[in-house]
Amino acid sequence: MPGDITHGDIMHGAVMHGAVMHGAVMHGGTMQAWAGQDRALAALEEALSASAADQVEIFVAARTAEHTRFAGERVHQPQTIIECQVMVRAVAGTGSARVAVSSLGAARDAVVAASEMARRRDGGVAAVLGGPTPGNPVPVNTVPVDTVRSNTGPHDVASYAGFGRPAGLWHEATLAWDAGARSALAGRIMESGRPAGVTSAGVLTAAITELAVATSGGQRCYAEATEAGFSLTARAGEASSYVADLGRDASALGIEPRAAEAISQAAATGEVIAVPDGVHDVVFGGLATGELIGFVPDFGFTAPALAAGIGLAATRPDAILAPPDITVADDATVEVGLPFPVDFEGTPKKRVELISAGRVGRPVSDRASAAATGGLSTGHAHIARESSPAPEAANLIMMPGGASEAQLIAGVERGLYIQRLWYNRLVDAEAGTVVGTSRDGCFLIEDGKLTTGLKTGRFTESVLGALARTDGVGSRLISQPVPNVWNGCCSAPAIRVRGFRFGSRRGKD
Amino acid sequence: MPELAAAHQWGDLAGGLATAGPLLDAAIGAAAEGRASYADVRLSEAEELRLYAVSGRAPDERIEGNLGLGVRVLVDGVWGFASRPLRDASDASAAASDALRNARAAAAGSRERVTLPLRPAECGSYQTAAAVDPFAVDAAVRERVVADALAAATATGGVVRAQAGVNAKRSHRYFASTEGSRQEQHFVESGGMVLAIAAGDQIAQRRSYPNSFHGNTAAAGWEYVDGLRLTEQADRVGAEAVQLLSAPVADSGTADIVIGPAQLALQIHESTGHALELDRILGDEANFAGRSFIGPDAVGHLRYGSPAVNVVADATVPGTRGSFMFDDEGTRTRRTMLVTEGFITNFLSSRDSAARIGTESTAAARSDGWGFLPLCFATNVFLEPGTGSTDELLDRMGNGYYLDDNRSWSIDSQRLNFQFGTEVAWEIRNGKRTRLVRDFSYGGITPQFWGSLEASAGPAEFATFGMPCGKGEPKEWGFLSHGAAPSLFRNVRIGVA
Repeated sequence: MPGDITHGDIMHGAVMHGAVMHGAVMHGGTMQAWAGQDRALAALEEALSASAADQVEIFVAARTAEHTRFAGERVHQPQTIIECQVMVRAVAGTGSARVAVSSLGAARDAVVAASEMARRRDGGVAAVLGGPTPGNPVPVNTVPVDTVRSNTGPHDVASYAGFGRPAGLWHEATLAWDAGARSALAGRIMESGRPAGVTSAGVLTAAITELAVATSGGQRCYAEATEAGFSLTARAGEASSYVADLGRDASALGIEPRAAEAISQAAATGEVIAVPDGVHDVVFGGLATGELIGFVPDFGFTAPALAAGIGLAATRPDAILAPPDITVADDATVEVGLPFPVDFEGTPKKRVELISAGRVGRPVSDRASAAATGGLSTGHAHIARESSPAPEAANLIMMPGGASEAQLIAGVERGLYIQRLWYNRLVDAEAGTVVGTSRDGCFLIEDGKLTTGLKTGRFTESVLGALARTDGVGSRLISQPVPNVWNGCCSAPAIRVRGFRFGSRRGKD
Repeated sequence: MPELAAAHQWGDLAGGLATAGPLLDAAIGAAAEGRASYADVRLSEAEELRLYAVSGRAPDERIEGNLGLGVRVLVDGVWGFASRPLRDASDASAAASDALRNARAAAAGSRERVTLPLRPAECGSYQTAAAVDPFAVDAAVRERVVADALAAATATGGVVRAQAGVNAKRSHRYFASTEGSRQEQHFVESGGMVLAIAAGDQIAQRRSYPNSFHGNTAAAGWEYVDGLRLTEQADRVGAEAVQLLSAPVADSGTADIVIGPAQLALQIHESTGHALELDRILGDEANFAGRSFIGPDAVGHLRYGSPAVNVVADATVPGTRGSFMFDDEGTRTRRTMLVTEGFITNFLSSRDSAARIGTESTAAARSDGWGFLPLCFATNVFLEPGTGSTDELLDRMGNGYYLDDNRSWSIDSQRLNFQFGTEVAWEIRNGKRTRLVRDFSYGGITPQFWGSLEASAGPAEFATFGMPCGKGEPKEWGFLSHGAAPSLFRNVRIGVA
């Protein structure tokens, strides 16, 4: 696999990329964008001309993804999945409506249909929908954002300690990681564990994500990005280990050596025991930490929650939650996880610190919720499936510290190492309580070292409480996808928590 | 194919196999030409309508349409799959070409090869019965239903946020295989929801109706939405959310409980449906969705629950999100007992997984539209009802709790150790509801929990709930249904959260 590509190379590569045929996924085995900048923007331009509404905004969200799933003795699900959604929002007076289709060719019809729906709703009962504080449709974006191309890199990119130089979104190494290379790697991974009795299951993914936005207010933008990710569960009897990571550049993931580490760990574990009930000092690996901090937005860090007076941003602004080295931000502008420049409304994505140096920070917003709370959108517009449009913290990052994971473990005399959490659900947003289980690759820590492997253990704990009791933050960020969120990603380091309960909580102690 | 009812006469694929056939043939032909020993194609067009209103925000009405196809091939015993939106006829052969390329590439990583028993062609057609086409309902009617429900949900002081919505979906699904199968199915769904959140000092409580998972959606027309009586129920859930703010916290310990059908539907989903998915049991989902405590040799001898536990998968029962004639690899559905008097009697299986244990598919291969591979999902899986009323069941229990509507859920990756919280619970004393309690939770170990099932109420109290389910990599949604009547469980661990 090619090594790191410099920013200049990316610019050059993207110019070349723009010259190749769009609309075909494969060309000589190389993955390509489904829509492409020129084709997408031309289609949206043409579609906008059909508008009979006061305002129209359109986005095209497309994704071409190749997944190589494997388990046991076979690559059982090698897949190429192309998805494309063209979503139109039309505004006519007090009425608004959205219509979505799955091809650029149908964009014009969607504009016509959305315009008709919006006009029909103008002045109707819809105008008073919205409850106690009715809101009118927000106008479309008019910010004359220049076309954002993958080769220009994220806009407004700031450098943060520990992240290094921001880079572009487009990596040829990811494009070169084709089905043959992924299948061969899957085969090597499965084969390598076999002599030690380790079975492996996992997925290797390469993808291209695109977003184009055009509005009747004159805004035009387009961005495209590569994506590479992997995850692997290695199992030897009831012992297991897990590893995963996600980013724009396949060559930066180091999959094979990390897979080898997981296989070795599973093979060496031996018998596993039940997680001892009680309160423990716990080192959470980066993936487990990511699962925990994924709940932080639910604690009131969205503008609608602020408007409703629910949650931390509304009820405890600037309150101290955790030590000052704890910062949890939503930040798609840095080279971590899946950076991306704009949201569905064409608003540039801004860094928002939900927990800022241990204190209650700010909420994320889209244009509607920002208008309702008297601010500007932070670039977090999102439309989840079967749900109302609502701002979404899609690129969470917990800022890294200075310790290695081994150093965090070395600081625990007797406790637990938790590599992976599973099926975590919010119980109480006010208290930050979450229920879930540990899963693969969990161990006792004895005298600062991992010893006996652990079975699955259940917990019901406050994430806020855990962050408050964190006394060590790792230096390495690990990223994982966030399901049901477009371009969703969560990146976190290992943390050490002094006092985290596993097992049943009897009474309300 | 009998003439399509009016609710199904829409879109580019309403013309039946006469319209879809050439595309299906093109994909199958390309796959066969590429030396696939087996291939199937799913061509689908879908449209969803949603009108959601959230207090404090402008309402959102949207119609989302998609049209595309997915091709699956088996080449030298290795699967390959590819899907794409449909722009023109060339996409059919292009998808087949991508699928073939994936299968050939995957051979390098596959020691084990698939042997798929061939079977005769299966042809047929199906359409949902919908009395009132939900897409033909006047927009003003939809808006009035939602506006009234939202107003009712926020009528009680203390409700700080509410949401109301209605939804409908229609789809045409076509299937063809190299075995000669040609199928068409036409679906219509309708649904509605309301949610109220009340907040006090450092406390928030929620209530929802008819279910806490996106409300409820049925395979039916607008008549289903009318039957929900959203406004009346919105008023109730708003008031209950406020009442919960001052309700005492539920006790912890052990107690007898009667679980209502909405919560029991999720209990069935998590601890029965998922545990019986054969692809999971065989390790295909070990990396993400997980495994199962049930082994592939469990049929006929593994005790899963008490003799009162009878669980059936039956997609032939109409009216739910899990109702269909053929699954997404063309297997005709039939009624299948999964648990009979407490013993495991079958699995939720696909052709691939069934072949690996030498049985036949139970028609549980479902996919998220045309874009994703069929995986083993629950279909229309329900706990068979018992006899009598809920009141009689509460009488039988004596003292305990009646609980319903899920608030939080968690189960381990082997579907063994679970913990659920419910939105609401009532203390039961001498068979009568007394006070409301908040933050109710219960937990257990799957076979022990189901072993404590003593009785279920009768068919009159039975209710089904449609829900989406996430599985696979990439994660896809399966749309399915679970049902139950309120049921009595003894000595359950409560207050675990």
